[in-house]
Amino acid sequence: MINSYWAICSGIEGNLAAYEAVLASIKQQSDTISDLYILGDFLGLQGNNRAVIERIQSPKVGELTPQICLGWWEEQCLNLHGLRGSLDAPELVAKVGTDGAKLLWESIDWELVQWLRTLHFGFHELDCLLIHGSTVSYADELTLDTPAIQLCDRLIRADANNLFCGRSGLVFECWVEPKQLQSQITTLDGPQTLHEQGKSPRRIVGVGNVGRTKGQGNYVLYNPATDTVQFKTVCY
Amino acid sequence: MKLAVISCIHGNLEALNAVLSDIDQHKADQIYCLGDLVGYGPHPNAVVEMIRSLDIPTCQGCWDEDIVEGLNACECSYPSILAENRGRAAHEWTNAAIHPEVREYLSTLPLTIRESNLCFVHGSPNSQHEYLLPSMDGFAALERVLSTEADVLFCGHTHVPYVRDLNEGTISVRVTQGGDGKTDRQFTMPLKRIINAGSVGEPRHGRPNATYVLYDTETTQVTLREVPYDYQRTCAAIIEKGLPPIFAWRLAQGLEFAERADDPSHVCQR
Amino acid sequence: MRSPSLIAVAGPSGGGKTTWIVEQLKHSTHPTFYFSPGLGPITVDLARINYTCPTVQVIVGDPGKSWLTNLPLNALVYCELGVQIDLNSALFDPWPCRHLAVLPPCLTDSEWHSWADEIIPGNDLFLENAESLPNLWRSPLTGIVFDPPSLDMILAELTGGAYGELQRLKGIFEMPDGRAFYIDFVQGLKGIEYTELPLEPWLEGRPQRFSGIELAGWNLNQKLIADTLMEGCLSNEILTHYQQQYKNLNPLEEAIAG
Repeated sequence: MINSYWAICSGIEGNLAAYEAVLASIKQQSDTISDLYILGDFLGLQGNNRAVIERIQSPKVGELTPQICLGWWEEQCLNLHGLRGSLDAPELVAKVGTDGAKLLWESIDWELVQWLRTLHFGFHELDCLLIHGSTVSYADELTLDTPAIQLCDRLIRADANNLFCGRSGLVFECWVEPKQLQSQITTLDGPQTLHEQGKSPRRIVGVGNVGRTKGQGNYVLYNPATDTVQFKTVCY
Repeated sequence: MKLAVISCIHGNLEALNAVLSDIDQHKADQIYCLGDLVGYGPHPNAVVEMIRSLDIPTCQGCWDEDIVEGLNACECSYPSILAENRGRAAHEWTNAAIHPEVREYLSTLPLTIRESNLCFVHGSPNSQHEYLLPSMDGFAALERVLSTEADVLFCGHTHVPYVRDLNEGTISVRVTQGGDGKTDRQFTMPLKRIINAGSVGEPRHGRPNATYVLYDTETTQVTLREVPYDYQRTCAAIIEKGLPPIFAWRLAQGLEFAERADDPSHVCQR
Repeated sequence: MRSPSLIAVAGPSGGGKTTWIVEQLKHSTHPTFYFSPGLGPITVDLARINYTCPTVQVIVGDPGKSWLTNLPLNALVYCELGVQIDLNSALFDPWPCRHLAVLPPCLTDSEWHSWADEIIPGNDLFLENAESLPNLWRSPLTGIVFDPPSLDMILAELTGGAYGELQRLKGIFEMPDGRAFYIDFVQGLKGIEYTELPLEPWLEGRPQRFSGIELAGWNLNQKLIADTLMEGCLSNEILTHYQQQYKNLNPLEEAIAG
């Protein structure tokens, strides 16, 4: 269908009102939106994590069932519950202190933690990778200030033409075009052929953040048929 | 200054001795070792003692880490179930054979060594398990070197030596949303190099000879060295010590004993 | 007077006798029989012929000569003579028998040349006079399914001399996608020949049809070979998983076929 979009968002951060605003916005365009992706960070310290999870788990009649992957906050939660490498969650403590870590721990129970474990790390759909950070890590924060060679590398690792990410919480779109590179290889058999490589431009999209800023949230619409991205803002 | 860089000795004392003699003859000023001192081969303790006695700066290889942590190699390294079985047998043998002080020494090895504009790693700057194959995407290879902030990245792990010069790398970035508005910028990368030191003890280039590299820091000349040695003695020791006897045949053919890097685009997530 | 046609086929090991016979069997429109004196009832060659030419009747064991009197008049009988059979033994007397030899093109003078009515060019082998006859080792592999890259490695090692000097390898091996392959190696000929057998894919547990391996060589480390073959095969769990995946891939084809 030429007018079929994916709605992609990230960073609800426990802000149920912001998420409801995004869902309302999607409902108004329901003829054209076929999929909803939540790229992690639906948990946070600002709102009601349990309520957001319940809302995500139980879409209303006529609403899309969201496809959800893990983000930075979810990984910290799994750390706290001993389901990842670092029980003491040093990244989390560095960001929000031990009090904050305790709040996160208390905000969702064991049953919901088990549900977190079932979530994906990312989605590879058509020629797109939809993920919280990058394939390097959930904590890999890609922005317009990230060195070009790193952006290029993340796209190569993604094996995709479009990389949708949400770690930074920023809204952006950039096209990365590796134009050329001379590569000379020498082995025990002597010098090998000189290669010159260039690749077609590929895109990285920061899908913004739904819940961090009170009263306003961002998400994107992507049309796989036309390969176009629209940036949406909702106010509530 | 003339450097010798050796890697992936894998308990092969005969090969190590031959390489050290060759390095001596070439009058290298300093030796660096990129890890994998143990694993597969029949003399892991003697190899470690030799490296320690010569005070050779060494980084920790994937096998060294596995022996310290009590792990097995990542499944993605094994091209077949048979190879996986053989790798496991080699891990169990090495684990049982290693002396406690050798295990302790392996645990102290750094993941990376920096020396002026040179960086030394076992696999890649990301991981001891990542293969930097000569056929990997050039831009991805360039990113690996740039991430170290060095000009030359020495690596091992693949067991086949090579030099890769990456030159005139140019990337354009066009911003169409966000930041300071629409911008179009071009970035050019300076010359960077990856030098793979091959393997002393488990060569995979089709011949049993040991390989290592010599590097002149002033002229930047690289020499890939191939050193014949009495590999039959290692073969005999493999069989005598109870390692899988097929390793002896595979050493003589210059074939991998079990692990092999097949896919230049695969990035091990371990 | 019409009588069954008897054709005896001889030649050096690995020369291409069985392959030539199989080609004739595939295209035969007569009632056709295959017989190889001295072969046991379960061998790779007999299984290969059974699988490739199911209408051919394979005569096993030591049937004597009486069975020849009961053949239809237009029957064709191919008799393959292994190198261990004396060419001058009167196998089919008094029935007339045509003598064919499948020989390397470079061989111009041999016992087969004097014996044969017709020479058929076979594999381009250089025949060395070995000091002793090779030892034979056979093992059934029925029910065993191989991990394909493991099997590749084992075959490369076997044919590379890792387990002793190998002169000949023949085998039928089962794959996780349900297919079976006939695999042939002859020392002196380049490469290993793989031929898919025209069988229904077996995707319900361990195959119940014959598969096996036969080796001829010197100083073969039989135990190590047997152990290595076992290390290269799939466990029940992995086999079930693969078979389920292959069945999921082809439900539409099965529906059409059904």
